[in-house]
Amino acid sequence: MEFMKQISEAVIKGMDEEIRKLTKEALEAGRTAKEILDEGLLPGMDYVGVRFEKGEMFIPEVLLSARAMKASMEILRPLLVKSGAGMTRGKVVIGTVKGDLHDIGKNLVGIMLEGAGFEVHDLGKNVPPEAFVEAAKEIKPDIIGMSALLTTTMGMMQKTINALAEAGIRDQVKIMVGGAPVTADFAKQIGADGFGHDAVAAVNLAKEFIGA
Amino acid sequence: MGITRRAIQFRVLSESQLEELHLATLEVLRRTGVDVLVDEALELFKKAGAKVDGTRVRIPPHLVEWAIRTAPSRVVVCTRDGKPAMYLEDSKSYYGTGSDTHNIVDPYTGERRRTVKADIGNVAKVCDYLPNIDFVMCMGIAHDVTESISDLHHFEAMVNNTKKPLVFTAWNLDNLKDIVEMAEVVAGGPEALRYNPFIVVYLEPASPLQLIREPTEKLLYMAQKGLPSVWTPGQVGGGTSPVTLAGSLVQGNAEALSGLVLAQLKQEGAPIIYGGCTLLMDMATGVAAYSAPEFMLSVAAWADLAHYYGLPVWGYAGCSDSKTFDQQAALTGAMHTLMAALSGQNLIHDVGYIESGMTTSFEQIVSNNEVIGMVKRIMEGIEISEETLALDVIDKVGPGGHFLGEDHTLRHFRENWFPELIDRERYDRWAERGKKTLGQRANEKVREILETHVPEPLPEEIKGKLAAIIERAEKRASEKAV
Repeated sequence: MEFMKQISEAVIKGMDEEIRKLTKEALEAGRTAKEILDEGLLPGMDYVGVRFEKGEMFIPEVLLSARAMKASMEILRPLLVKSGAGMTRGKVVIGTVKGDLHDIGKNLVGIMLEGAGFEVHDLGKNVPPEAFVEAAKEIKPDIIGMSALLTTTMGMMQKTINALAEAGIRDQVKIMVGGAPVTADFAKQIGADGFGHDAVAAVNLAKEFIGA
Repeated sequence: MGITRRAIQFRVLSESQLEELHLATLEVLRRTGVDVLVDEALELFKKAGAKVDGTRVRIPPHLVEWAIRTAPSRVVVCTRDGKPAMYLEDSKSYYGTGSDTHNIVDPYTGERRRTVKADIGNVAKVCDYLPNIDFVMCMGIAHDVTESISDLHHFEAMVNNTKKPLVFTAWNLDNLKDIVEMAEVVAGGPEALRYNPFIVVYLEPASPLQLIREPTEKLLYMAQKGLPSVWTPGQVGGGTSPVTLAGSLVQGNAEALSGLVLAQLKQEGAPIIYGGCTLLMDMATGVAAYSAPEFMLSVAAWADLAHYYGLPVWGYAGCSDSKTFDQQAALTGAMHTLMAALSGQNLIHDVGYIESGMTTSFEQIVSNNEVIGMVKRIMEGIEISEETLALDVIDKVGPGGHFLGEDHTLRHFRENWFPELIDRERYDRWAERGKKTLGQRANEKVREILETHVPEPLPEEIKGKLAAIIERAEKRASEKAV
């Protein structure tokens, strides 16, 4: 039990060296990869999310925690796959829409989602609707997330949603949108399932989407 | 107009710090370089002796220093009818609005709503009236026009509502060419526009260290035309640039100077307004913070760099992260405005820009106009002369006397600054008049200007030609539309 607390602490403090050591020790002591994920890593990241919302932790610190989580996950992943345990909370495809090269926010969301136990496929920036559709067909994600920083590219979000509908797969995914000019109203208007105003909100929304 | 008399000395960087920044910039350009994503630009750099590996360009110091010497140290921007209005040189300061906000606070309903074309014309009209606003930069993104060519509509709205110089944005090279064509029609032809330009385009490289396609294409076009461009990086420290100011300045300087070099390679003497926007990322909200003291400091540092190089410089005033015209908007706006004049920024924009650039406030523009007036007076300093020392008057009035009735007082009292929106009334009179706050008084002034000021219109023939260019662009846009 001590292991789990220490691992959560390592996530919160963003200590990736320490967390690799602890993860290995916990495994050697007989803990399963799933236990470590569910009782050590995820509670740590959830706590980070709460502190961030309260304004007690800041973006660079959150990033550091997510990286620590990732470091532990690198060790756990093959074990989780082997044991057949649900290794992820869900699959997410994210990208910045066509015509837009801004990606810091999206990258942050990707890291945070991974930190929260999601499997993230990042399509990068300037992603046309066709590429989102292709990825959706191939990866079969639970969630698709789109980001835009420019009002001149926001329209691409609608086009992408339409493309997914035309391909007959709109209702197989939940769609979330974000980015500085995006609002809850806009999200509703274009038929997205949700909107988050920052990376932590995106994670909370993703958790809602999969019913966690 | 503008602030041309300066008696105050102010700098944020010492001579040796400036040298260190310059040398560190040369190292960035030597070691890391910039990515250049336009073939013509790569060719120009290659031919000039830069080290080009794929899209990565490393610029040698002699090219940088040549470009700094070659770029003009002064850019004169004129009014719509070709009369010189702004001398962008040395430490002369000119203020204007900016830029491209989605929303506006409606002066009649107080509602924050989407900007429409009429708003852009109205802001230009208000600026046309205000004595301390020297130029107009497009104050909004119109949501009631064809999206892909809204920039043309913005230009039309502005040029019809003021004779003052215009700083504008263009979505792409095609639109830029259309807008320049519109300006040429107004000026009376390409030569007229080139030699007495009333327009300046606003361009940014992409941080970190990228001369991406669109702004670079536009830079090459404007350089060839001999028309002025602002080329300034927009950095968000901790995000797209280092979180320490020196690091951001150095990276930004590499971005700014690569553009300067490219423009001079394309056309020697191409007029460029240098500078940068070194914002910080607010680490709680992710927002680029306009009210950060570090931002105020960094723009002053950019001005010091510009003076060191002898280049005209971009600047910031009257801006805020506030969502409405409240105490925060007024105070951060005013701090910026004073810093801009103290540090000798030349083309100072963003008056009226609130909510970190999402919204325009008319009240902010009008009240900041007042601040500029006060700042102007401060920058004039104190004149010491026989007349102002007033030794004869001091002796005449003597101990215990008073100066109110003196000729000397009568002769000079009008030289002191008179407030219009700033209230210095006694309590009872202020209460009688309705206990109005600055916000209320500013709002009243906005309405008064909107309802009574009539800017000088363009001749009908010119208006018609501009409308024709827009119609042509509309056709092109509808043919392209999916």
